[in-house]
Amino acid sequence: MKISNETIIEMYEKMVKIRKFENRAMNLFAEGQVGGFVHLYIGEEAVATGVCASLRDDDYITSTHRGHGHILAKGGDMKYMMAELFGKESGYCKGKGGSMHIADATKGILGANGIVGAGHNIAVGAGLAAQYKGTDQVCACFFGDASTNQSTFHEGLNLASTWKLPVIFICENNGYGISVSQARHQNITDISQRAVSYNIPGITVDGNDVFAVFEAVQEAVARARKGQGPTLIECKTYRWRGHFEGDPTVYRPEGELEQWKKKDPIPRAEKYILDNQVMTQAEMDQLNAKIDAEVEEAVEFAQASKFPDVASAVLDVYTDIVEEGRTR
Amino acid sequence: MRELTYGQGIKEGMRIKMLENPDVFIFGEDVGLFGGCFGVTSGLFEEFGEKRVRDTPISEGAIIGAAVGAAAVGLRPIPELMFVDFATVGMDQLVNQAAKMRYMFGGKLKLPMVVRLPSGGGVAAAAQHSQSLEAWFTHVPGLKVVYPSNAQDAIGLMLTAIDDDNPVIYLENKTLYAVPGQVEDEVKPIPLGKANIKREGNDVTIITYGKQVYDSLKAAEMLEKDGIDAEVIDLRSLYPLDKEAIFESVKKTHKVVIVSEEAKRGSYAGELAAIIADECFYECDAPIKRVCALNTPIPFSGNLEAYVLPNADDVVEAVKSLF
Amino acid sequence: MNSIGIIANPASGKDIRRLVSHATVIDNNEKINIVERIILGAQQNGVKKVYMMPDPYNMGYRVEDKLKTSGELKCEIEVFDFYKEDTVEDTYKAVQMMNEKNVGCIVTLGGDGTNRAVAKDIQEIPLISISTGTNNVYPDMIEGTIAGIAAAVVASHQFDKAAYSNRDKIIEIETAGQLKDIALIDAVISRDIFVGSRAIWKVEDIEKIFVARSHPASIGFSAVVGGKTIITEADDFGAYVSIDKNAPKIKIPMAAGIVLPIGTSEPVILNFGEKHETTTYCRGTIALDGEREIEFHQNQTFIFKISRNGPWHVDVKKAIEVGQQNGFFTV
Repeated sequence: MKISNETIIEMYEKMVKIRKFENRAMNLFAEGQVGGFVHLYIGEEAVATGVCASLRDDDYITSTHRGHGHILAKGGDMKYMMAELFGKESGYCKGKGGSMHIADATKGILGANGIVGAGHNIAVGAGLAAQYKGTDQVCACFFGDASTNQSTFHEGLNLASTWKLPVIFICENNGYGISVSQARHQNITDISQRAVSYNIPGITVDGNDVFAVFEAVQEAVARARKGQGPTLIECKTYRWRGHFEGDPTVYRPEGELEQWKKKDPIPRAEKYILDNQVMTQAEMDQLNAKIDAEVEEAVEFAQASKFPDVASAVLDVYTDIVEEGRTR
Repeated sequence: MRELTYGQGIKEGMRIKMLENPDVFIFGEDVGLFGGCFGVTSGLFEEFGEKRVRDTPISEGAIIGAAVGAAAVGLRPIPELMFVDFATVGMDQLVNQAAKMRYMFGGKLKLPMVVRLPSGGGVAAAAQHSQSLEAWFTHVPGLKVVYPSNAQDAIGLMLTAIDDDNPVIYLENKTLYAVPGQVEDEVKPIPLGKANIKREGNDVTIITYGKQVYDSLKAAEMLEKDGIDAEVIDLRSLYPLDKEAIFESVKKTHKVVIVSEEAKRGSYAGELAAIIADECFYECDAPIKRVCALNTPIPFSGNLEAYVLPNADDVVEAVKSLF
Repeated sequence: MNSIGIIANPASGKDIRRLVSHATVIDNNEKINIVERIILGAQQNGVKKVYMMPDPYNMGYRVEDKLKTSGELKCEIEVFDFYKEDTVEDTYKAVQMMNEKNVGCIVTLGGDGTNRAVAKDIQEIPLISISTGTNNVYPDMIEGTIAGIAAAVVASHQFDKAAYSNRDKIIEIETAGQLKDIALIDAVISRDIFVGSRAIWKVEDIEKIFVARSHPASIGFSAVVGGKTIITEADDFGAYVSIDKNAPKIKIPMAAGIVLPIGTSEPVILNFGEKHETTTYCRGTIALDGEREIEFHQNQTFIFKISRNGPWHVDVKKAIEVGQQNGFFTV
């Protein structure tokens, strides 16, 4: 696999960005500055990063409730994301979506999604549009292990495989559907095997190794662009935090988190980068400092932004109808 | 003028837009080679080919979901679900995705899609193939809902619906497909939210849409014999709603009967009654009446079904109760 | 007490080769079925205890549950109770414990990679390997029942293991004066710069191929050398070739459904005791038995040696013949 040092550094930067953004979001939530449901991506950074590094700007992604990582990896702007978490007017969705509904159509981000399994068919639609228009765009569809028990997963894979649509199905198998472990929610461990039923390639990769994800997705994307149809890639990973912030995670066996922390994708990439002199320690420190500053800048931007005017609540329901507001 | 059936009208609306705009395409269960379960798309597969008139697997979630994805990235899909009853299976995609994406994303996406949903009873199709579920769709912010009653409106509403940048639920009554009607040589798009006064009258306002337009007109004729001059309004578009036309009429007649084929409880007819009570109460000099189906599933046996569904006699009876 | 160990690799049959070649998924339920057949074959022939490696799909417990429910289980199954890493570490740990338990035979379900992991520490325990991997040279396509019967013959300790098994060759890779790793069939130096998804399939990145055995009827790297010369398990040597774009090309089955023209230098024989030293000039990886394992950078020196320090590989047919000739199966 040919990969430039620039790409390696870019992937490292993306992973660190996601980690630092999420850590900051975690603290902001704890401090009460950010409310609602916040689902953090900490521990799973290699998946979104490895996937999106294989995509072009004009490719699409569909995301999930745990979407911050996907959006940052696809080129989302941290400032507007943070502002959206704060519910501010300057946020991606003008304060109407929040953490679970960030989208940026200009970057091909067709939205985080609060419904488990809803993205599969939207991704199929985006893939259908690419095929229909005769472009070589692809759509990467992110989803968790639990969503593979939804009918939409099966409907989506069936339609995508039948029509040979350019969709890369990325299963982030983090071992849990909210509190229910995989062993308690499905009678298989390797979701890749579900590809067999749809006669498409299905593979399992180490989701905590950004290179493994990158490499697999490169192959799947090339295949999709050539019109050879969809691929199912299962990335085995783990979320360090609870399902949502505030989840006491009583369902986890003792030691499991610690075990997975040893497989933290970021130090693994750091070790590779230093061992192979892709960057020096000093350069790496500098990059980390730059990202820290960027996160702080995003927080300041969000804090300084206004809350939306209440009158905006009735806008954007339709392109052309303004709903009735209140008189108070 | 020329004669077209209601089904041909729906087809003509789609065909005009397909000829005009390559981004418009049809997909759904048996809409292609088979020509649609009710024959509405017949001939389009031959004319436009498999790419633009696509048969899908029986996967309602995937049909609506794929339409959402395709619309979000710039196409104008027309998915069809064969029976409105099957929308239940694709409901997440309609309610949580199609209807909400634009709003959730801060107005940064357009979702131009027309979802065709054959509705209503009267064909001995029983409880899972005969429902009238317009109240569900009109309830959901983000959806527009139209319900043509004749070929001319079917064309005009379809032309507008396809050009609309929002998801439009296009309800069709399956007993009307073969009903012929006079159609202008060149049909103009009908703006959404414009009702059609089918019969002018001074004594009572009958508000209706879809198949009940015919029952209501028949009732109006029967009432005329008894000296009651009924005005019949065909809403055509349930949301946006032409309140002005309704209020204008109520101001003239001061009596309202609303006719729909829905189960009465929680119906869109109820919403119409509430709007009139809310905004036009002092113009009414009698209770607002609803004539709907009974609060039962639609039964199979012909006599049972006829008993459950509303008809012209029920409308007459309701009107007379106001005098 | 006659006992056997079973190591069923839950990860085999799922890697990227399903995407880059025409391999198919081998799901874990199929492995469970095979394990069942091994146990049923073995317990009928005197095996009293079966030790199993734990895995995330709980294949051991699932087999035990199925055979208990059907009333067919006569021997005892013990799934090792250690904390699963869900990595190759589990295999190392299980082999070590099987050594401690002094099992009479180890049966593996996996591919070349699985057997390489087992071979590292199997020591004197005879090995029966069943193929459930992808591009396999080492394991055999055998019916589980037959493998179980052979395992029982071996685990009975009644026969000299030289009668049914041979000690395998391995490729030893040393660096900085220490044994770094081993391969059973082939070791490949590649300019692929990270381990990534492990499998190796990009011929254009390959520099050198070392083989312990080679045959044109095998698949993968041993076939590359096999295209020029045949080296059997019995030969006391291995060989290496360099990829040479300018050399005349030979069509080689590189992976499932993939036959590529490949040009190489003439094979250089590596006799036992001979060392081939190579110093890297760029970043890259060394793939062992088809999986990238060792990442290296510029100016690292590696030594490749062929030895007969591999596992005792059981010839299943021979083991059963020995049993039959000695009345082992007589009721």
